[in-house]
Amino acid sequence: MTPSSACALHVADLVIRAPAGTAVVSKVSFALGRGQSLVVIGETGSGKSLIAQALLGLLPAGFSAEGTIRIGDGLPINAGCADALKSLWAREIAFVPQEPSLALDPTAAVGRQLSQNVSPARSAEALAAVDLPSDIFRFHPFRLSGGMAQRVLFATALASEASLVVADEPTKGLDADRVRIAIDLLKRLLRDGRSLFVVTHDPAVAEAFPQGTVVVLHDGVIVEAGPAAQVLAAPTHRYTKTWVEAHPARWPQLGSRKCRMPAVLEVSDLAFAYRGQRPLFERLTFSVSRGSVTAVVGPSGSGKSTLGDVVLGLKQPSSGRVRWGDTLAHEDRRELRRWRQRYQKLHQDPASTFLPDRPLGRQLEDLKEVCSAQGFDARLSLVLDRLKLRKVLLDRFADEISGGEVQRIAIARLLMLQPALIVADEPTSRLDPIVQREVLTLLREIVDQDGLGLMLISHDDALVRAVADTTVRIKCQNVDS
Amino acid sequence: MMASTKTWTARRPTRMAGILICGLLIVAAWAALTLDPLSQDLMKALEPPSLAHPLGTDHLGRDVLARVVHAAPRSLGIALVCVTGAAGLGIALGLVAAYAGRLADICIMRLCDLLLALPGILLALLLAGFLGGGIIPMLIGIKVALWPQFTRMSRSVALGVLNEPHVEAARLAGFPAHTILLRHVLPPVLRQTVCLASLGTGAAVMSISALGFLGLGLKPPTPEWGSMTSELIPYLADAPVQMAAPCVAIFLTVLTVSVLGEFVLARRTRLPR
Amino acid sequence: MSVSEARLLWAVAAPRLWQALITGWLLATLCFALTHALPGDVALRVAAARIGDDRVTAEAAERIRQEEGLGLSVLTQYGTWMMRLAQGDLGRSLVTGTPVLAEITNHGRYTLVLGTVGWLLSYLIALPLGFWAGCWPGGVVDRLSMGFAVVLASLPTFLVGIGLISAFALTLHWLPPAGFKTGAHMVLPALTLALGLAAYSMRIVRNAVVEVRQAFYLTFARIRGHSSVGAFLHHGVRNAAIPIVTFAALQFAYLVDGFVIVETLFNYPGLGDLLVRSLLARDVPVVVGAALLIGWTYALINLAADLACLKLDPRRSMREAA
Repeated sequence: MTPSSACALHVADLVIRAPAGTAVVSKVSFALGRGQSLVVIGETGSGKSLIAQALLGLLPAGFSAEGTIRIGDGLPINAGCADALKSLWAREIAFVPQEPSLALDPTAAVGRQLSQNVSPARSAEALAAVDLPSDIFRFHPFRLSGGMAQRVLFATALASEASLVVADEPTKGLDADRVRIAIDLLKRLLRDGRSLFVVTHDPAVAEAFPQGTVVVLHDGVIVEAGPAAQVLAAPTHRYTKTWVEAHPARWPQLGSRKCRMPAVLEVSDLAFAYRGQRPLFERLTFSVSRGSVTAVVGPSGSGKSTLGDVVLGLKQPSSGRVRWGDTLAHEDRRELRRWRQRYQKLHQDPASTFLPDRPLGRQLEDLKEVCSAQGFDARLSLVLDRLKLRKVLLDRFADEISGGEVQRIAIARLLMLQPALIVADEPTSRLDPIVQREVLTLLREIVDQDGLGLMLISHDDALVRAVADTTVRIKCQNVDS
Repeated sequence: MMASTKTWTARRPTRMAGILICGLLIVAAWAALTLDPLSQDLMKALEPPSLAHPLGTDHLGRDVLARVVHAAPRSLGIALVCVTGAAGLGIALGLVAAYAGRLADICIMRLCDLLLALPGILLALLLAGFLGGGIIPMLIGIKVALWPQFTRMSRSVALGVLNEPHVEAARLAGFPAHTILLRHVLPPVLRQTVCLASLGTGAAVMSISALGFLGLGLKPPTPEWGSMTSELIPYLADAPVQMAAPCVAIFLTVLTVSVLGEFVLARRTRLPR
Repeated sequence: MSVSEARLLWAVAAPRLWQALITGWLLATLCFALTHALPGDVALRVAAARIGDDRVTAEAAERIRQEEGLGLSVLTQYGTWMMRLAQGDLGRSLVTGTPVLAEITNHGRYTLVLGTVGWLLSYLIALPLGFWAGCWPGGVVDRLSMGFAVVLASLPTFLVGIGLISAFALTLHWLPPAGFKTGAHMVLPALTLALGLAAYSMRIVRNAVVEVRQAFYLTFARIRGHSSVGAFLHHGVRNAAIPIVTFAALQFAYLVDGFVIVETLFNYPGLGDLLVRSLLARDVPVVVGAALLIGWTYALINLAADLACLKLDPRRSMREAA
């Protein structure tokens, strides 16, 4: 792609104010050349999504914007003038939203949604360009898999004539395969001659466009900007450095120790199938020793979470055995109840594991009902210090604090139960990279110091390589395209 | 949930309504204690409002205010009894259906479907018709119409909650089943059913007065708003105040109960820190 | 129609047909139980209903006992009762002697007309107001119409009727107050029903419109190039219609309460009026016939609503098929 001197997008001195009046994005300026890509990197709360929304004139109620936005060869538009920006929809600017399930009308066939204002030939072309069969036209959104729905969204962008495409967090919450597909689709947009503006927290997206520009956003301010290859290989700003290093591929090896400790969990010849369906996994055998981390990897839909449930005694396996120390987990109900507390789970969405209407401190104290009350308060204090949790958080509710803090409180709750094994089901996939690194480093420390076993379920190979001692790979039975 | 766009809540009018209701309750208490609803005096039939009879007298010379006030505990009382009974039974059965396994679930749901197949007050009408009115058809008819709705609602809320991670975390931590039901499942169930309960009370009051209006309600001469209205219809032109009084009473009662329910629902409740 | 479509149709229709059957059985058994559970002699009651309280004699009662087979055991009577009903023989009115089937279809026709007109009228009121309120939530129209809806929902049906009578018939003399001779006689009863229904459907329409207008797929349609109006027409209407149609069926339950009272108040010769009169007169066969007709119509309306929702919301067809 020969870089063109024409500008696809020019933003000058963009300021976005919250309803209270404070500036959440201040004096942001950047330029995007025609046929080029620009990736804005930032964490949750940095304001990057607001910038994408401002470009479209879709700021949430109460937010206001100042500054100038110039799209293509058009006149400069005041960022606060949402109507002027909206008039450019579909002609100059196209949008690929984050959630396909929310963006598509559930009652209308895909064909109808794709081909309005667009000639049938062009929409057929667009579908072909994203590798979707043409009979998708008749399908309704609920019949599409997640990956297919994502492709439909990209097809709508391809079908429109707009030269600038804005993509808002195209890989959020997706597993490794879907991330690859999303990046591939973004590249196709570039090949088609569009200019790409992407907002993301995912390092993989930034690294996928080495010839484009990268803008690093922190607390609403640009801390670093420049050609992608340069910024990511040799970041100059402290924040960029931390962010780049948060990518699991850059972590020091925390695992890979040879373990000679006794096993807290032994799984032999385990298989599980829902009634009347093909088995999700079969003939699975592995063990988790004290003080070690065993990772379970596989693509989405391969039954990793279900394996976690079976290991914890929440679901009955179709065949095979699960051994907890000395007892067989699924054979004896009384033994199960005795050891129940020592086999715990760390969830993917920690906030939803707490009651929404009860202060977190109260919920931690509720544990007195199921553990020994003796010395409880002292132990709780120690655990909270160890996890670096401020006391003031205990008075808050689960939805009032950040994702990383909630996950640490969830870990605190588990530690109070003195577990022998923790099954961590994608515990950090919803967190920002920097927070993810903190939480996993913490988990590894706890495993090493307390000598408990950790079964880490993840789809992220790099993460697993960095943290785990042994890896179990589940072959996927159901393929999500 | 964006409260301002989803539900119609009124702040200042609600406060005013509260004051109005207190005032009315005071008047009602005074009237209940001092006036007699049953004494007839045909010489004084259909008198306009006066100091002695603030709302006038009906066609049999009975004091209308006294009758309206004395009818209140009956209509509202029966309605509340019906609703609390229906709610208690309905919520309990809904929780059982959600928690106790597939067989219990299917049985309870089939029973609900059966009872929900009877439209409106048909059951109460039939019972009242055959049994000649009185309080029993009302109690049975209204309860039977209401409790399946409570069961349906509490079951669907409970099923939703039981799938949530905080219940799983509590199970894993070893909390007993009754703690999980009380602390995790019951609060959201109660929050949703409060609205249904207030609507149900309003509907019950209206059903009671409808039955009274048709002549199938409480036996005369017991004062009841619906039967009072139907008795006084022939005198609509001559004695509008007397006929309007019980109607206004029904209206105010149902309005208050409905608004109360919406008001409670619109506020987010959080336990004290 | 393909096999899978037919199976889908059956999956939706079967529960409703089952419901109709069970309802019919339940109502019939209930009426039977109630007649025989009452204290006193059934034969005497029937005689009293037929020839008048004051002219009942022991011979008349005995004759009726023989005719109607009232001396046999309860179970036998129940058996014959259910068999007769199953064959479609609803008997004759105890009061007038005319066949019950004729009576209920006669009166049923009037109620059908009244109910349909009232229901349509209610949507004529609720749809525009609800739509307007939903397009500008929090605005003047929204506040006023929702306030109006709350007030209307708290008014008992007979009060609305009386209010309309005193306003339009007695004061303004625009419309006749009661009876049924001309089309004009139907206006006030239909309006009474319509207002009662609109009180609830206004809110449902408004909430559906608000929810749809906030939905992201509508914004995304506009991002793709639709105009506001176009986006709403193509994508909003169908989604908004789903909760509205679902609710429309539930309204029939209200309609039953409604038309019983409205017909009594306006002396409109419909099914509700018949039901109440025959209840008061203990005319059991007519009561049974009327109750069965009402119960079955309810099941039928629910079925129609289910099928309509099936057509509108393709997700349901997947859920039903699963």
